[in-house]
Amino acid sequence: MNFELYACVHAAELPAQALLRLRPELRAQPVVVLEGPAAQQAVCALNQRARQRGAVPGMARLDVESLPEMKLLWRSVQAETVARSILLECVSQFSPRIDDALGDACWDEGRQAGQATACAFVLDIQGTERLFGAPEQLAQRLRSCLSAAGFHVSIAVSANFHTARLVAAHRGGIRVIATGQEAAMLAGLPLTALGRDADLAEILAHWGIRNLGELAALPEAELVTRFGAKARAWSALAQGRAAHLFRPIQPALRLEEFCAFETPVAQMDSLLFTAARMIDCLAQRAESRALALATITARMRLEDGSWHQRAIRPALPSLDRRFLLKLVQMELGAHPPQAAVTSLLLQAEPGQSRQMQLGLFAPQMPEPSRLDITLARLKSIVGEDRVGSPVLEDTHRADSFHMLGFVADRAGAGQRPQNGSVQAPGAPERQSHRLSLRRMRPPRPVNVLLHADRPVAFHDRKQSFKITAAYGPWNSSGCWWSAATWESGPEPHGSAAWNSVEWDVLATSPDGAPCACLLSHHPQSNVWHLEAFYD
Amino acid sequence: MPSAAVLQMEIERSLAARFPAALSPAPQTLGEAAATGVTAVDTLLQGGLPVGAVSELIGAESSGRTSLALAFVASRTAEGRVCAWVDTNDAFDPESAAGSGVDLNQLLWVRCRSTPCSQSSRDVPQAERRRSQSLPWTLLDQALRATDLLLHAGGFAAVVLDLATTAQEHGNRIPAATWWRFRQAAGSTHCSLVVLGRSAYAQSSAAIVLECVARQARASGGTILSSLQYDVTLKRDRSACISPRPIPARRPAASTWTTQPGWTQRTRRA
Repeated sequence: MNFELYACVHAAELPAQALLRLRPELRAQPVVVLEGPAAQQAVCALNQRARQRGAVPGMARLDVESLPEMKLLWRSVQAETVARSILLECVSQFSPRIDDALGDACWDEGRQAGQATACAFVLDIQGTERLFGAPEQLAQRLRSCLSAAGFHVSIAVSANFHTARLVAAHRGGIRVIATGQEAAMLAGLPLTALGRDADLAEILAHWGIRNLGELAALPEAELVTRFGAKARAWSALAQGRAAHLFRPIQPALRLEEFCAFETPVAQMDSLLFTAARMIDCLAQRAESRALALATITARMRLEDGSWHQRAIRPALPSLDRRFLLKLVQMELGAHPPQAAVTSLLLQAEPGQSRQMQLGLFAPQMPEPSRLDITLARLKSIVGEDRVGSPVLEDTHRADSFHMLGFVADRAGAGQRPQNGSVQAPGAPERQSHRLSLRRMRPPRPVNVLLHADRPVAFHDRKQSFKITAAYGPWNSSGCWWSAATWESGPEPHGSAAWNSVEWDVLATSPDGAPCACLLSHHPQSNVWHLEAFYD
Repeated sequence: MPSAAVLQMEIERSLAARFPAALSPAPQTLGEAAATGVTAVDTLLQGGLPVGAVSELIGAESSGRTSLALAFVASRTAEGRVCAWVDTNDAFDPESAAGSGVDLNQLLWVRCRSTPCSQSSRDVPQAERRRSQSLPWTLLDQALRATDLLLHAGGFAAVVLDLATTAQEHGNRIPAATWWRFRQAAGSTHCSLVVLGRSAYAQSSAAIVLECVARQARASGGTILSSLQYDVTLKRDRSACISPRPIPARRPAASTWTTQPGWTQRTRRA
């Protein structure tokens, strides 16, 4: 009883499929893919419509250009690598045991020029009937899955590894080969299916042998006598009984999408149109593994040869295509590339989508995805570094803080140590309230009139204030023990030393309105500043 | 001759399928209020600032508007809620906020910048850019757009729109439609929008207008500013026209409250 069952997925014309996968609007047109140096460019892959128009692999560029309505594309190895990994990822949903059919030694020996541009994987599908049904149903589902990913493939199912591989490579559509029918199915295949051994093909042609069926009919012993030990393998292949040591590969999850543009793209809308399709594919692939997208990095190759890279990190891993596209749009809108884009590579890192049980009486919090978009929009309005939560520095220097990204952590609210807060949540109401400052950024230089070393009036560029009461002086200095330079002004300046004398003053403006403010004097520069108003 | 009540009933009955109670005024309910954390002000407001409405704190410099707004934000963040501070003139002081009890982790600070950021500068012509940079309207425009985004995003318990340093003539130029839009958005997202300004800008869209006035400054020993005292007057209360509250309370016309600098509090603790 045979316990083996294999399904081979063969994607022909991979260079063309890799380029057309993200541009379905080109699939209805005759498309050829060229490769080689500028003077010797030739067709390496083409689609069915181009073949109908008379294009063939190896045709020179000049000949192709003479064909009507032919769309010329250039081969992208990176796009093929990405397409191959996507194809592998798709088939891995149907079986954990996958062998790379083109990596097989026997296959490498006989790889033809046309087949070098193909991609094939053989799946061990024994025991998957309860999951995916009969082999016919599995093949149908496999092809539907790959078609959704943008691939046009042929599939063959057989109990023999090499039979499945050869039939998938030379017969289109879905072929399910019953056990014992391998030789009959292989009989019609040309001898070139075995490889590109020119001597063999020529000798067999002289003998009148033109397909595998006729080769299989030859006595094996006579073949071995004339061609050596490798003839035994040819005969076994032709008869559909060649043995194979299955070597499963472990597909690593690489969430990447690549698209090379025919002409540099300068319009952001055009770039996002392509990015939307790529994000859709990334989300679909992550979703198939019950994952979400934690980060998306967009790497753009620019027309001048440089790279432009931006990354988005949603607060929570997400599969919402529109939300992710909006974040990419906001990020690229805030940091647009400085030249037209020639290729776009999207790399995503997977993350676990979080589920959270909301409390009926829990305080309302911003929805994470909506908050991400709001923050991105706010940053586009006021600037990247102007939105967030302030964090106080551990220093006595005035107005020392830095900004951190705002995170509305529902779980951590009320549990984290409070940043700078004096009063803990739930504490009894404070009886005295803190006097607050309104800072001037940058501090406003003022002219101060002194009497007995105490300020009695000050004047800024607009109006004069009469000081009714002055409290001070309060000396403040720091970092003089380690810094080499002194601050030239009142603004915080890294680790430079500072020295200032502060006065709290009550003043009256010319229109009689009282105010309380904070004045500072910098002895090094002998400059007075209006630092803040008490309010 | 049927009476007006009968006519109204007949008309409403005939239109009931399309417009329920077409001629009857919509019932008004007392809205939820959130305590400001300042007892005197909460007593004045009979609970606190309204939730899902626009409140204005107006007054001159050093009138206690910022301290009152920070006390309100502190009480909201102490409940585990998140708040936002839209800082038109970049005057917000994080140290004062932390001293007032605000959990800075729960606070989103939006600092409007005086020069347009890179994105907008690419699109506008140079002459237009130079003109816009010279106008304070750019700051105000950023603040209004940021407030609009925050109110519509939802989830924020309080959004403070700080126009305290904005010139009165610029604040008065804010269209009434903008305030109406803010009022609707605050109502739908259950957010308290607190506007700090030199005068009342929101007009009929404001549910509460509190006027703050500096009253007295006190010093200890003649060398230390120990406290500032403020008067708060309720200038407008939209809910006052609604039916009286279930438990009638005597509402004072104005209240007085006091703030102290941080150094006096530390001294007391020590």
